[in-house]
Amino acid sequence: MGEQGSDTLNQFRQDADLSRSELWLRYFELGGMSTALQLEAILYGALLASPHDHDIIAHALNERFVELGGNHPVPYGEDVHGA
Amino acid sequence: MSLDQSHQEQFTIGTDLSDQAAVLTVRGQLDIIAVPALSALFDMVVAGTFATVIVDVSGLDSITSECLALMAHSAERLAALDRRFVIRSPSARIARLLDVSGLKDLVFGDTFGSNFGGPSPSDSQVLPRPPVKVGSHGQLAKLQMGSEFPSEEDVVDGALRMVVALAQATIAPADGVSVSLRRNGRLATVAATDQTILDMDTYQYATGEGPCLDASIEGRAFQTQSLIDERRWPAFTPSAHALGINAILSSPLRASKQPVGALNIYSRQPSAFASDDQKLASVFAIEASIILTEARVDVSAEDRATRFQSALLVRETIAQAQGVLMGREGISGDDAFTLLRTHSQLTGQPLFERAQEIIASLRRPQRDRGTGTTGDPNG
Repeated sequence: MGEQGSDTLNQFRQDADLSRSELWLRYFELGGMSTALQLEAILYGALLASPHDHDIIAHALNERFVELGGNHPVPYGEDVHGA
Repeated sequence: MSLDQSHQEQFTIGTDLSDQAAVLTVRGQLDIIAVPALSALFDMVVAGTFATVIVDVSGLDSITSECLALMAHSAERLAALDRRFVIRSPSARIARLLDVSGLKDLVFGDTFGSNFGGPSPSDSQVLPRPPVKVGSHGQLAKLQMGSEFPSEEDVVDGALRMVVALAQATIAPADGVSVSLRRNGRLATVAATDQTILDMDTYQYATGEGPCLDASIEGRAFQTQSLIDERRWPAFTPSAHALGINAILSSPLRASKQPVGALNIYSRQPSAFASDDQKLASVFAIEASIILTEARVDVSAEDRATRFQSALLVRETIAQAQGVLMGREGISGDDAFTLLRTHSQLTGQPLFERAQEIIASLRRPQRDRGTGTTGDPNG
């Protein structure tokens, strides 16, 4: 899930119109433990997120998409593995 | 037991845990990057049974308001549990910052006393002390105000005081001038020529109305030439008039085009302000706005601290809800998160709202006792 996920995560972030720091704050709110720099590295694919971490990032983005009137476009780990 | 965490070598946190005390040794720069590690570590020591938590800051170079807020938050949580939080061996610079931020009042006495200087390796030397009074929101509010060092905000305030003095000297009918700024979501006076003027501003904040508030919110000038005939601010006007003020001219201040406050000019004379005075007032307001716009870094640092404080509360609520689910369902923390997340995914309800509901469900009103789905608390 990592390589496929991380490559598009930053694209999702841009589509969601979230700054990197705001995304980190939302990720932190949801219990994320990575630092802002580590999160950035994950977004750009330089660091592999744990499945749990990936889901937190995906959910932070998805909640933002809901705010913008969309649904949950960012796949969670189980979606990638399960399908 | 000991473990070390380093992140980009900007800071390190060493931990030394015994039955009685947890000693956390922090070195380097504590800024937003350190927050998750620091937050997790404090969560751990608060969750533990240590009677005393000692934070050794002898090797600390700098600390930002987010990390100060975290420490204050942890100190309050520990104090609520009748446990001690001690800051050991701060440098003079850090000590001053702790003092300015109000954190010094939250921690126990030894902080700046006998422990100063020497690294004291033992945690058995800890003396029992009565807990200090904590939990005042004022301390945390002060922390939110403090950016990394107070200087930048001081510089801005100093420049604004200069504008106030110049406006007072230049605008002939002015009996007093002040600047109100929105900080941490609330209007506050950062510069005023005297106590009467400060009171005038304060009455407006207290009553929630007045030309200063309207100018700050709407971003355009508001004036009244005669308070006796004024109808727009019925709660505020009588107290202003009682202090002898008759005319007020409030011009909006902006930072990057957003209204953030007002320059207020007060006069005892009815119909005091001529059109030239209004023009001069707007020139000074523009001058102050330029200062504020250039200090935008400062404004956003403040916003960031406020935003961070709210993120901390959200995080805590969600963590508590996870804990409830873990206990109720007998599942791991990660699984509890997945449960919350899946609910949010299926319903579109934000995870935080769901977390609030779960916590609220534990506080059933007396009358409903026994109708809930969880176990009977009276057992």
